[in-house]
Amino acid sequence: MGAFLKYLDKGVQVTPGEYGDYIWATIYILLIFTAVSIAVIAMNWLERKILAHMQIRLGPMRVGPHGLLQPIADALKLLIKEDIIPDEADKVVFWFAPIAVMMTAFTTYLVIPFGRAHAVTDMNIGVLFMLGVSSLSVLGIIMAGWSSNSHYPLMGSLRSSAQMVSYEIAMGLAIVSAVMMTSLRTGTGTLSMIGIVQAQFDQKSWFAFTMFPLGFVAFVVFAIAMVAETNRAPFDLPEAESELVAGFHTEYSGFRWSLFFLAEYASMIAVSSIAVTLWLGGWLRPFPNWLPGKTWDLAFGLFPALTFLILAGMCFLGTVRMPRIPQFKIQTIGLASFGAVLGSIGLVLLIPGVRERVLDMYWFALKVAFFMYLYIWYRGTFPRYRFDQLMRVGWKVLLPVSLGVVILVALAGLFTNNASVMGVLR
Amino acid sequence: MSIAPLLRKVFLVDLIKGLGVTFRYQAPSEIVTEQYPLERPQIAERYRGQPRMNVNPDTGETLCLACELCALACPEKLIKITSQRNPTTKKKELVEFIYDTSRCMFCGLCEDACPSDALELTQDYEAALYGREGFILNRERLERGPEPTVYSR
Repeated sequence: MGAFLKYLDKGVQVTPGEYGDYIWATIYILLIFTAVSIAVIAMNWLERKILAHMQIRLGPMRVGPHGLLQPIADALKLLIKEDIIPDEADKVVFWFAPIAVMMTAFTTYLVIPFGRAHAVTDMNIGVLFMLGVSSLSVLGIIMAGWSSNSHYPLMGSLRSSAQMVSYEIAMGLAIVSAVMMTSLRTGTGTLSMIGIVQAQFDQKSWFAFTMFPLGFVAFVVFAIAMVAETNRAPFDLPEAESELVAGFHTEYSGFRWSLFFLAEYASMIAVSSIAVTLWLGGWLRPFPNWLPGKTWDLAFGLFPALTFLILAGMCFLGTVRMPRIPQFKIQTIGLASFGAVLGSIGLVLLIPGVRERVLDMYWFALKVAFFMYLYIWYRGTFPRYRFDQLMRVGWKVLLPVSLGVVILVALAGLFTNNASVMGVLR
Repeated sequence: MSIAPLLRKVFLVDLIKGLGVTFRYQAPSEIVTEQYPLERPQIAERYRGQPRMNVNPDTGETLCLACELCALACPEKLIKITSQRNPTTKKKELVEFIYDTSRCMFCGLCEDACPSDALELTQDYEAALYGREGFILNRERLERGPEPTVYSR
């Protein structure tokens, strides 16, 4: 027990993987799995709600106050639905495809740093590992499309794989430019996710703003490529409803379909966290240069508690504005108690010990949440690309731009970094 | 390509404008959805819906004179009226009034023809039923008027 609690000691500022504590690493894995599943559920509700508001609709309103319990009802429905495997399908591959997709989506979370100490492990090839594992999901999609033994899934999976493979190149080049930036001044770069964030901390600049506008352009290229990579609108050709029914998961239903759904959202979060780690300073707080000092540290430290208290306040506002009808009594009580739970979380976050431990996770989650909102926002705004337009954007715009950025970053790095110039000359 | 459209394309101006439009529409005041069973739309006064037979509010007697003008006016011939002459007052009195809404097209000619404002097409629009029998309304049902279901949940 003592050894078990040793990791929680205040002095320990490394991930459980580096510390060599397998039990804590397992606990972290379980925690991340649960947190991601909850995030996917919340994302499901938020997407329907935000999308509805963008289209001047209300969205789910019936199950629970403002439809808060809708995702739970949906999950329940999916679980008790009949599990259909088409007669002509390749059973084994059909059975394995959703598992493969989900495994790849969740394996990437091993190296995502939610904070200096809040990751399962610090892998020295972290970024490479994430890219490699997440590109494996193409395999799962091809398996799903092929094993269904049906036209639409096959077409959808072929489109999907063509799209993912061609956008991966631009994405990889953008990542290369960010990784090269880690070697500025020190002369030694790193592929470790935690190392990249620490390089941004040491250089006192997020890579999106390093060598302006080079870092920013690479960031934009990645931000576009990652939407295509996760097959989301406006690049959701693999599941273009008007053309392909539902793409590669047309023949899937019930629990297997929900695995695809879970994997899609999990990989959205994973790819967003790569973007946050590489360009937006991971778990670092915003404005460290403009607003330095202990006072501002404390002020920014109050943000998590403040967020939860504001959310609680919004819940209470909703409670007050609920129609005064006896039919709404249970919903009103539910919303009020949800607000009370949020408020008490906010109060717990005010405790100094908790506050300091949670802060880095909070900033990371906030930045990822911004990307999640962007995904929904894109979906509410942009019409779908045609397939040739999609390929043109990928190969003729993003690829040359990212190549140019890589070359320019390399040159600029050579000239700003005297040590490495000497190294080349020698 | 001239320089201005190229710059618009490079800096994604049109896409960002589009994002701005959707962002502004998120304001809750923009929402036009009405939650139907809970809140009902305002129906115009002249809307022609489920029929009703008006009674004298003081005495509870029907206003219908059994003149059969509505039955004559009806293009679908769906109104059937039976009446009998009261031996003492020598007046025609209404016995039964059958109104078949399953064939009705709610043209309102019967309402216009009625000299005593007894027959009226109300603003009630919830006319759907599970069987055909319920569409044939008799005098008692017509005098009760439409009974919209109250949503309680």
